[in-house]
Amino acid sequence: MGKNSKDKKITLGGLLPQEIQGWKAEEKDEIYDPQTIFDYINGAGEVYRSYNFKLLLARRFTKESQPDIIADLFDMASSMDAFGVFTHDLEGEDAGIGQGSTYKGGLLSFWKDHFFVSLYSEEETDDTKNALLALGREVSSSIKKEGKKPDIVSLLPLEDLAEKDVHYFHNHLILNYHYYVSDENILLLDQKTEAALGIYEAKDDKHYLLLVRYPEIKKASHAYESFTKIYMPEAGKSGVVQTEDLKWTAARVKKNILIIIFSASSDTYAKDILEKVSKKIIKI
Amino acid sequence: MKKKAITRRDFIRVAAMTPFTGAFAYSIKAPGKKVTARKAKVVLVRNRNALISYKKPDPDIVQKMLDDAVSTLLGEEDIVKAWKKLVKPSDIVGIKSNVWGPIPTTKEIEQALKRRIMDAGVPEENIGINDRGVRRDPIFKNATVLINARPARTHHWSGIGGCIKNPIMFVPRPYDYHGDSCADLAVIWKEYNLIKRTKLNILVMLYPLFHGIGPHHYSDKYVWEYKGVLASQDPVAVDATGVRILQAQRRQFFGEERPLQPPAKHVFLADTRHNLGVSDPDKIELIKLGWKEGILI
Repeated sequence: MGKNSKDKKITLGGLLPQEIQGWKAEEKDEIYDPQTIFDYINGAGEVYRSYNFKLLLARRFTKESQPDIIADLFDMASSMDAFGVFTHDLEGEDAGIGQGSTYKGGLLSFWKDHFFVSLYSEEETDDTKNALLALGREVSSSIKKEGKKPDIVSLLPLEDLAEKDVHYFHNHLILNYHYYVSDENILLLDQKTEAALGIYEAKDDKHYLLLVRYPEIKKASHAYESFTKIYMPEAGKSGVVQTEDLKWTAARVKKNILIIIFSASSDTYAKDILEKVSKKIIKI
Repeated sequence: MKKKAITRRDFIRVAAMTPFTGAFAYSIKAPGKKVTARKAKVVLVRNRNALISYKKPDPDIVQKMLDDAVSTLLGEEDIVKAWKKLVKPSDIVGIKSNVWGPIPTTKEIEQALKRRIMDAGVPEENIGINDRGVRRDPIFKNATVLINARPARTHHWSGIGGCIKNPIMFVPRPYDYHGDSCADLAVIWKEYNLIKRTKLNILVMLYPLFHGIGPHHYSDKYVWEYKGVLASQDPVAVDATGVRILQAQRRQFFGEERPLQPPAKHVFLADTRHNLGVSDPDKIELIKLGWKEGILI
């Protein structure tokens, strides 16, 4: 490992305490990069690679007769990706830590600046919960800056949208995790595309709004053509189709952003949403 | 010819045809694929006393559960004779285990299998137990027979970690198979000559994980004491049955239909795309032995 990585490790390690409520850090931290992450967290490593993570520092805390606590500190390089990876798994209650957090079943996750932090106890007890929350607050306070959320997320209409139903990502692997579209990458997503998925739930209605920003307008048009040709070939130029479940899918490109609504209750509603988002795009 | 993309529309079409097949749309045979008349047998054995304490199996009871499973599976009451149908004294046998920290295969299962392989006449020095080191282990390099034993759990990237996925450690770069939620994991069985050599698949369901959270995809909260083992010679049938049980537990726990996320598509594609085994419950003969309370299937 080169000098820069070593320095980075020291910086990351400095954000974590050596002791929390009687749990003491093991002597040696572990550090992983996008090539070695699978040695540590197996398949879930794909998630962090999908968000361009740079480095992960893992520190284990032990206390006699208590379950171990594991702190995973991810340097995501950008606050947008720290936010994005946080939105990958939003189960749990808000713990009020960092710029967004969840706590559930012995796992505290939060993001702040360009860091994503996962603190986890191998068994959940009242003591471990208290220690995890205290550790989270301490790590959060040692990260001095706050980071910006991706602005594409702000294009999602807020009506009927819960904060926990927003996901930000880059590639089709993550899209399919949250909302399966196709086994092939028919939206031409890659690490340079930025996507926001909103899951809207109202009475008897659940629909999905996907926004994808491409690096160039031309790429957005290609993606639109690819998607409509494979997913909704019968739509023609209208860009709207009624699917076999009697719901509606509609797509449109505005500037370099592709807008798709899935599972809308009517074609009118689908078109209204596309129009609403298009107007927001014009303003940015 | 270029492979046709499978889209959500295909699933919607299937669901529109019948209310039950939506979740299992991967069960549809790919156009042009040969439809075989294969059937598979799976044995589920459960015992109320399988665990001495949390995550601690009772070795004697586990031995009996595995014996009952193998006897029934092979239709041979004498357990040694049953194992002799799987291994011969000249075989080199690798027990492909799984060491994942929170829910491993367990020593009790490994030793129960090893004992019967030895009873069938295989010398101890020709039996290996390994997981992450199989590529360097001389026993596994030369194995004539593999016994595939691993715990059932939901998996962050493939939906379920089961018997189809377990041989992934034979592969130098496992992440090469991560595309489309590990859809084509079954190919490793062909690429690494595992189909004929793997004589038995044990999906350990003593305390499976039915839901996961966070980078480590684990919380004690989502472990339940099912106290069972599933056995089959068909890795697809055993996993497909495991998926049904995990899915039923999720439905019971969450009080609503909560599909695996991501779906365990590799299990169904192992059948419909790769012809590795049988995933259709109608073609699986499931024999249930032992404790019935909370069986979920």
